[in-house]
Amino acid sequence: MRFAFTDDQLLFRDTVRDFLQKECQPEQLRYAWVNDSGRIPEVWAGLAEMGVVGLTVPEAHGGLGMNEVDLVLLLEETGRVALPEPLVETTAVAAPLLAESAPVEFAAEWLSRIASGDAVVAVGLVGTPFVLDADSADLIVLERDDRLVAIAADKARLEPQDSVDGSRRLFAVDWAYHDAVVLAEGEAGWHAVNRAFDRGALGTSAQLLGLADRMLEMTVEYVKQRQQFGVPVGSFQAVKHHLADALLWLEFSRPVVYNAAYSVAHALETASRDVSMAKAFASDAALLVARKALQCHGAIGYTVEHDLHLWMKRSWALARSWGDAAFHRNRVGLSILGAEPR
Amino acid sequence: MNIVVCVKQIPDPAEPGSLDPGTKTLKRATKLILDESDSYGVEMALQLADAAGGGEVTLVSMAPNNEVSGLRTALAMGAAKAILISDPALAGSDALGTAKVLAAAIKRVEGADLILTATESSDGYTGTVPEQLAELLDLPSVTFAKHIEVSDGVVKVQRQTEAGYDDVECPLPAVVSVTAGVVEPRYPSFKGIMAAKSKPVDQLTIADLGIDPSQVGWAGAGQEIVSVEQAPARESGEIFEDDGTGAEKIVAFLENLKVI
Repeated sequence: MRFAFTDDQLLFRDTVRDFLQKECQPEQLRYAWVNDSGRIPEVWAGLAEMGVVGLTVPEAHGGLGMNEVDLVLLLEETGRVALPEPLVETTAVAAPLLAESAPVEFAAEWLSRIASGDAVVAVGLVGTPFVLDADSADLIVLERDDRLVAIAADKARLEPQDSVDGSRRLFAVDWAYHDAVVLAEGEAGWHAVNRAFDRGALGTSAQLLGLADRMLEMTVEYVKQRQQFGVPVGSFQAVKHHLADALLWLEFSRPVVYNAAYSVAHALETASRDVSMAKAFASDAALLVARKALQCHGAIGYTVEHDLHLWMKRSWALARSWGDAAFHRNRVGLSILGAEPR
Repeated sequence: MNIVVCVKQIPDPAEPGSLDPGTKTLKRATKLILDESDSYGVEMALQLADAAGGGEVTLVSMAPNNEVSGLRTALAMGAAKAILISDPALAGSDALGTAKVLAAAIKRVEGADLILTATESSDGYTGTVPEQLAELLDLPSVTFAKHIEVSDGVVKVQRQTEAGYDDVECPLPAVVSVTAGVVEPRYPSFKGIMAAKSKPVDQLTIADLGIDPSQVGWAGAGQEIVSVEQAPARESGEIFEDDGTGAEKIVAFLENLKVI
């Protein structure tokens, strides 16, 4: 197996990085913390126009028909800027799910709306009980008893929930039985739920890599600048050790996440196990990097005026979404040993 | 309407550049990117072609080693095709040499109504190529455009000045230089990036253009870089302890500068 990204994949990543660095700056992110939607709608429109939102939508429905290996680098970039948009839900989870499982006409309508940037799809599975951006979504995909259903967002009853991250608008969602369109049920439903959960956990892992990468970068910039005893604090060995540990965890996690993307894209038998490895590694890495970043920033890192907390709180939220590290380690144990490790 | 846009591919300004001590010019061995100041001309051309209801945008560029990565960016934005002139004999070309090459290449584009350039490149900053190009092509030239409209064979330009702008009209074809920042260059879409790979890039040498090698490159350059020095560090100012005569010293200093 050859595993390296193609020139096109790297070029797409660079294009998205360039776009997000200009259009999703900390000031916009801060505004998303206090505005009605928690989002930056212009960025969604820009990403849709570029082709990112419809990346996984089949070409027949106006998308690019690409897979998780194409998507993983782009989601990493969205993490790097802490993008407050439901791209994992809409592009990584909902689009492939609709294409694989939904009734043909229903899928056709929603997939073309996703590709054009006109529709946002929120997702709530049993592993992610609160639904991100359900209030600004057009369609909500939900799971109950191995049955996947879709509800037009205006038919759902939403109850806001708190998040540590002010830009994450979470909701408990309830709905009437007759408003739901069944996407998959029975054994097919169980498989569809698993695939959707894997894709969500994978996409979140990629975002965690980007978040961690940016926090480390911020911290390295800071310790080179901040002086104590007449020298930059970054010249002290104790600080270097923290940063080296952070880099080590990040670099160990990255190939695990890329490998999981390959497994999911090629529907390998080990896909769920590989995704769980990725989510466990990426969650632990992001939490560790966040902690080291906070410590190396000293007191300023504790303030809301400094940007670090925007990245740190997103990392805390995502590390615990789509299954935390402990849950995913158990899942790896189950898949290898056939039982939960004791 | 057919529009030609002159674009330069330059070393990425985000990477620290360095000078070649031998030639005393910028090292260009790295991957080159589209000069940001040219992206405004490309965007302007695409908008004008749209507004005219059709027509092609053709890029013209001169770069070492058949470098096309910057051109691909502009092709991904929506330009239809490109002409690239690459020739070892072009190393060391000055602004006039560059203008001769670009002019010869532009003459090969049939039915060009408008030629757009940036006001200056971000790595060379001579700011003279647009006017030289107009002279060599024997076309009217309008500089520092902040807004361009085309109708009935006439181009109407708002030409930026220190005080505001002048309204200028001139017949087509013409050479117009576009000020940086006046339009929002579009981001290439993924479909655009993939389509750009199959768009034609006509790669030419100076022999193809019928240019005598003695007219360009080091041989034809009317200028020579004799040495490169560090910019002198700014000298610190004079510091006086105010012993009651401070005001007089300030007045004397300002009088000396003839500002009061």
